Amino acid sequence: MTVKNNVAPRWKRGASPSPLIPYIVAGDPDLATTATYLDMAAKKGIFAVELGIPFSDPTADGPVIQAASQRALRHETSLESILGWLSGIPRNKLPDLYLMTYFNLFHHMGVERFCREAQRSGRIAGVVIPDLSYEDGALYRPVFRRYGINVVGFVSPTTPPERARRIVRDSRGFVYYVGLMGTTGSALTLSDETRQVVSTLRQWTRKPVCVGFGISSGEMAEEILEFADGVIVGSRLVLDERDPDRWRKTFEEFLNAAGKGRK
Amino acid sequence: MMEEGAKTLSKKKGSPVLPDMRGYFGEFGGRFVSETLMSALIELENSFRKAWRDATFRKEFRETLAEYSGRPTPLYFAESLTRKTGGAEIWLKREDLNHTGAHKITNAVGQALLARRMGKGRLIAETGAGQHGVATATVAARLGFESRIYMGSEDVRRQSLNVFRMKLLGSEVCPVDLGGKTLKDAISEALRDWSRTVRNTHYLLGTAFGPHPFPLIVRSFQSVIGQEVRRQILSAKGKLPDALVACVGGGSNAIGLFHPFLGEDSVRMFGVEAGGRAIAPGEHAARFAGGSVGVLQGTRTYVLQNPDGQIENTHSVSAGLDYSAVGPELAYYRDSGRIIFDWIGDTDALDAFQELSRQEGIIPALESSHAIAYGIRLARSMSRDQTVVINLSGRGDKDVMEVSRILSMKEVDKI
Ligand SMILES: Cc1ncc(COP(=O)(O)O)c(C=O)c1O
Repeated sequence: MTVKNNVAPRWKRGASPSPLIPYIVAGDPDLATTATYLDMAAKKGIFAVELGIPFSDPTADGPVIQAASQRALRHETSLESILGWLSGIPRNKLPDLYLMTYFNLFHHMGVERFCREAQRSGRIAGVVIPDLSYEDGALYRPVFRRYGINVVGFVSPTTPPERARRIVRDSRGFVYYVGLMGTTGSALTLSDETRQVVSTLRQWTRKPVCVGFGISSGEMAEEILEFADGVIVGSRLVLDERDPDRWRKTFEEFLNAAGKGRK
Repeated sequence: MMEEGAKTLSKKKGSPVLPDMRGYFGEFGGRFVSETLMSALIELENSFRKAWRDATFRKEFRETLAEYSGRPTPLYFAESLTRKTGGAEIWLKREDLNHTGAHKITNAVGQALLARRMGKGRLIAETGAGQHGVATATVAARLGFESRIYMGSEDVRRQSLNVFRMKLLGSEVCPVDLGGKTLKDAISEALRDWSRTVRNTHYLLGTAFGPHPFPLIVRSFQSVIGQEVRRQILSAKGKLPDALVACVGGGSNAIGLFHPFLGEDSVRMFGVEAGGRAIAPGEHAARFAGGSVGVLQGTRTYVLQNPDGQIENTHSVSAGLDYSAVGPELAYYRDSGRIIFDWIGDTDALDAFQELSRQEGIIPALESSHAIAYGIRLARSMSRDQTVVINLSGRGDKDVMEVSRILSMKEVDKI
C-alpha cells in the first residue's frame, strides 16, 4: 500500500508547488462543493489542504469557522463518513490532505481505528489537532506514526524556546506556527517577533515551517512567505465558502500572492 | 500546615497522590488545550504549588474567607426535615450562608489572591447559574481587577438577578449566543478570550474542571468545606458521618466536601447529577448516566456526546448543573467505585426546593435542591442513629423568579 504519508520529500523548501495551504471546512455549504474546491487545489499543485472536520465546540476558532462548522454539521460530516467520502474521490482530484479537527473526534472513533481507515483510504497525509497538547499527544503520536499519519506540531508566540525545540523535533509533515495570540480569524499584525521566531525554527529543522491564524490578505501572505515556507489561510477563505465564484476568486488572489512571495 | 485531606489520604496505605505530574487522575484529566495556552497553564501550576506551600498565602486565604465570606459556615441539624423524613439525621452544610450566597466565593477568593501574586491585572470567568460570575465580580471589585464574565444567553435570561448583581459589582457581562447557550458555550468563549489575552489575564475557572491545574486548584480551595464538616460533625456527634451528598455540575462543591473523607471507608459518598426531563439526548445533564469518555474543553472525562463524537446539548432546570461534561477527578472515583453517582430530575428538584423552604425556612438553590431531594431519599433508607450530610451549596434567591414562572405554568396546566 503506498500512502502519501510523508509530504516532506515532495514539499521541500523552495520546491515548485505553491506554498499556500487553504483551510476548507468539509461540508460547507455541502460536500459536493467541497470536492470542487479540493479538485481546484489539486490542479493548482498546492502543497496541502487543511480539511476541517466540523466539531460542535471549536474552542480555538473564531466566529467565521464556528459558523461554517455549524452549517457543515447539518450534513454527513462525521470523521468516519468523511473518510468514506474521500475514498470515493479519484486520487488525482485531491491534494495532500491534512485533517484538522478537535481531539474528541479522533478519540471517539478510536485513534487506532482512525489511523487504520485513514491509511486504507490512502488519502490522508496527516492531522492537525489544535487541542492535542504536546504532552497529551505523547500517548497518541506513536500510534499515528505507526500508520504513517503525520501529526503536525504547533508553536505559538507564548512557547518558550526549549519547548519549541521539542515540538519541532516531533512534528511531522510541517511545523505550524500560530502567528497570533487568539482564535482563528482575528487580525494578524506581522511583528518582528513572528519573523524572528520563524527564522529560528527554520534553523532547527528541515521540515517546512508554515504560518497560520489571521492571514487576511494576499499582501500579508506574500510578506510572510519572505521568511516562512508556507502560509495557511483559514477564515478569510472560509468566509467565501458558500459562494463558489467568490471562493475561487479569493483562492486565486492568495495563489498569485503566494507565487509572488516565493520569488 | 498540612492540608487535612492530604493527611488522611497519605495515611491510607497506597493511596496515590492525584493528580499525577501530568495532571491525570488515572486515565482522566490532562491538558487538552491549544499551544497558546500551555505556558500560561504551566506558569499557573508553578505559581499555585508555590503559593500553596507558602504559609503567608494560606493565612491570607484563610483570613479572607473568615472576615469577608463568613467562614466557617455552619453545619446545621435539620431537625424538622429529619422528623418528617423518618430515617437518618439530616445535616446541612450551610454554604448558602457564604458571602454572595454559594460555595463559589471560596474558589474565587483563592484564585484572585493567586492572580494578584502572579501580577495579572484582569480576570475572566464563565458562569452558568451566575453564582460563580457574581463571586468573580465580587473579588474583582474588592481586589481591584478588571473583569469580564461570559454567560450563555439562556442563562442570562433565567438568572437575570445575578446578571444585574455582576454589573452592579462593576463587571462586564458577555452573553454567549452559541450552541445550547449555556455553561459549555460560556466556557468555550472564556477559553477564546484567554487565548487572546493570556499575558495579562487570569482565567478564573469556576469548577473542578478544565485543563490541569484547574481541577487541582479548585479542589484544593474548596476542600475547606469537607475539612470544616469533619471538625463540626466530630464535635457535634463524636463520630464521622455515614454518608455525604452533593450536587454535581462541574464538581467543585462535591469534591470540596468529599476530598477530606476519601480515605475514610466508613463514609459513603453520593454525587447527584441533573436528570432534567428524561435521560435522553438533549434532555438532561447526567454525564455518568448517559455519557461516555471523551475530551472536552481541556480534559478527558465523561461527556455527553452523540455517536459521531459531537457534544450534546443539555437540559436542567438548574443552570449550574446544565453542562455536558464533568470534572476528571469525579470521573476517576466513579470508575473506582469510591463515589456513587445518581441523578434527580427537574420535578423532584422543584419539589425539594419547596420542601426545604417549608420545613426548615431555608430556600435552597435549584442546584442544591438536587442534592436535597436525593439526600432525603437516602436518609429514609437509613437508620435513625446514622447521619447524612448534604452540601447546601447555595441559596435560592436567584431562582425564585424562575421557579415562580415554572410553578405558575404548572398551575395553568392543571386547569
Ligand atoms: C449553588 C450552586 N451549587 C452547585 C453548582 C454546581 O457547580 P459545582 O458542581 O462546581 O459545585 C453551582 C454552579 O453554578 C451553584 O451555583
